[in-house]
Amino acid sequence: MHALYEIQRVLRSDGILIDLRSISDRWPIEVESARNIQVTGHVLDLPASLADDEAANQAIAQAAEKGWFSKEQEEFFPYYYSWDSPDEMEDFIEEAWEDYIGLDEATMQATSSVWALADADARVRVRTKMLITHWRKK
Amino acid sequence: MTLQSDIERNETKYLHKFADFTGKRVLEIGCGEGRLTWRYAPETKLTAGIDPDHDALRVAIIDRPSDLQDKVLFNRANSQHLPFANESFDLALLAWSL
Repeated sequence: MHALYEIQRVLRSDGILIDLRSISDRWPIEVESARNIQVTGHVLDLPASLADDEAANQAIAQAAEKGWFSKEQEEFFPYYYSWDSPDEMEDFIEEAWEDYIGLDEATMQATSSVWALADADARVRVRTKMLITHWRKK
Repeated sequence: MTLQSDIERNETKYLHKFADFTGKRVLEIGCGEGRLTWRYAPETKLTAGIDPDHDALRVAIIDRPSDLQDKVLFNRANSQHLPFANESFDLALLAWSL
């Protein structure tokens, strides 16, 4: 909340704030090749990621209620992370995102099976959900 | 490891769909190593990137193209205490950092 106060302070009157961030939403896991895309499961949203989203949503909502900013435009878009194999994806998630998302065994098995039978160019990817919002300082 | 991210460049497309950076004074909060900064900074009048991570900022400074030396600045700072005067910027970008 204080960060948003600081941002409105350093923005000129009528200035623009762009809020760009990922949103937890049980992101799909896909096996992708030039010929085909197949969803094999979804990641598990862990409490820390849900709490972060909630805190961010509350902070920006409060800033709007205080009359600091007004929302002008908002959209979601996909942001893909991809790896050569399911094992590489699993290693990355365990190392970099362990507090935020998880993988259940059934999803890993399904992903590995589909990838093993897919075309030689097949990669594994996570389709994350991004939120971008255009706010204007009042 | 062969991680690839956003090869479709959706992030850049949406960033430019939502904001015109041309000639603007821009503050990027959570600039990290400057991955996003380099996608819009050439168009700006001035870009200030802040991040609390000293190591990430070192990478950003090393990677800064020579033609952007004068108009892209990096500061180690926390978003709770922005080291700038009132009304210094036209546009603020919360880069994966709210």
